[in-house]
Amino acid sequence: MVLDREDRYSLDEVLSDYLPERIKSAIKGLKREVVEELEEIRIRSGLPLMGVFAGFDRFIGRDGFLSENPQHSLIVTSQEVKDLFYLLCDHSVYAYQEDICRGFITLKGGHRAGICGTVVYEGDRIKGMRDISSVSIRLSHQLKGCARDIFKYVIRGRNDIYNTLILSPPRCGKTTVLRDLCRLISQGLGKDKFTGLRTAVIDERSELGASYRGIPQNDLGPRTDILDGCRKSEGIELVLRSMAPHVIIVDELGSPRDADAVRMAWNAGVRLIATAHAFGLEDFKERMGVGQLASGSGFERIILLGMKNGKRWTKVMDSNGRELSGFNQDTGMSDGICGMYRPGAEVIGEAHREAACTAKTYGTFT
Amino acid sequence: MELLLNLKSQMCGLGIPLSAAFENIAKDGTGGVWSDIFLQCSNIMKAEHLDAGNAWKKSIVQNKDGLPLDQSDWEELSDFGEMLGKSDRQNQESVLNMEKEKLAALEKKAREAMETKGKLYRNMGVLSGAAVVILLI
Repeated sequence: MVLDREDRYSLDEVLSDYLPERIKSAIKGLKREVVEELEEIRIRSGLPLMGVFAGFDRFIGRDGFLSENPQHSLIVTSQEVKDLFYLLCDHSVYAYQEDICRGFITLKGGHRAGICGTVVYEGDRIKGMRDISSVSIRLSHQLKGCARDIFKYVIRGRNDIYNTLILSPPRCGKTTVLRDLCRLISQGLGKDKFTGLRTAVIDERSELGASYRGIPQNDLGPRTDILDGCRKSEGIELVLRSMAPHVIIVDELGSPRDADAVRMAWNAGVRLIATAHAFGLEDFKERMGVGQLASGSGFERIILLGMKNGKRWTKVMDSNGRELSGFNQDTGMSDGICGMYRPGAEVIGEAHREAACTAKTYGTFT
Repeated sequence: MELLLNLKSQMCGLGIPLSAAFENIAKDGTGGVWSDIFLQCSNIMKAEHLDAGNAWKKSIVQNKDGLPLDQSDWEELSDFGEMLGKSDRQNQESVLNMEKEKLAALEKKAREAMETKGKLYRNMGVLSGAAVVILLI
């Protein structure tokens, strides 16, 4: 399968527009094959510069040399972090204050900078952040075509789809697959196969459309309306009233309020595609609030994503858990942390198990 | 003053980043004689990734000869952009209000100077006329 990996606003442009000089030259010094695997750049005040690659992290030296030893790496100064923060904000902090309160800034090209510092409260509400101490730049790549094999199980006839839930542990590509499904549903496959449907995306964390100053940086299809930065529960109600969509797309269902909003959409006759963190269907069903959405007349198709022996796999099931297909898929996504296997009898990668358990304990899936 | 109101509404009301706000002011005509400086400032911010304070200083140095202001006026105006873009909307509003007060004071000073100098030149004109008449007699 030929996949179209889009890097419209490339790493080079990110470097020249945002990064301070020393960090820029360190990243520029990385070998080409290493850069292709680069997923995140971690910049922390007074600490070594770090790169997160597909499944591992390394400290980065002045000349781009990678090491597991922090002593050989470039130590970032607090002034560099401060300069970087202002550059990320286009020297206009006030214009990004809502993003800052949410902890990240969406950059040109859909890349995203997570920020940490001292949180400033006004009453119970986060008002802003000062003394920025670390920035994590997560590089975005849209993979057109990665949901092509799944798509045929999602469509129902030529102009309808099944309510679909995509489940996987963190970092298995849920959002990437959802983004491509959205594009395919909106675009269609031609009159004889599947006509495109009006689609509304509730992009609470700006991860699907990655809108930068109102312009989506990712292609979500020609019939797609994006409600950016809006909570799922409010967003679903809003688009139902205003945009008359055939399909609503939401990422990362979690709270009971989300579940109520999903039911509201179903009652209005609108189809819905959503993702959630889970190791399997049974795991999801146990979730407080949203778990019931996968029972009875709820989601009709369940797509499970995972990894086995370092390779991605995909499984499509109906609402009863009957497997419709299972395949190892060349999604074009990097295979991530090796040793992460499918849920159930198999062993789940320690790091991810730990992350998922922590998130489960505190009820905050990332 | 109209210019500052426009800037305030673009920044604090609409949340438009500074480089775009400066460009809008230059293009919509509210900038008056300052339009070129605002446009240049916006271009410098975009091209050189500088903050508003440094971009403003650079652009007024380049446009100094085009405006009828003396050295002390330029000194007063040179730190106009210094605090812009560094904080949230509420704080930026205070910064712009402060700039407004500063400009009002400058305007008052200029008017007083105009009146004083106007009187002086009027008196000088009368005296010169009288001197010419005396000479002719």
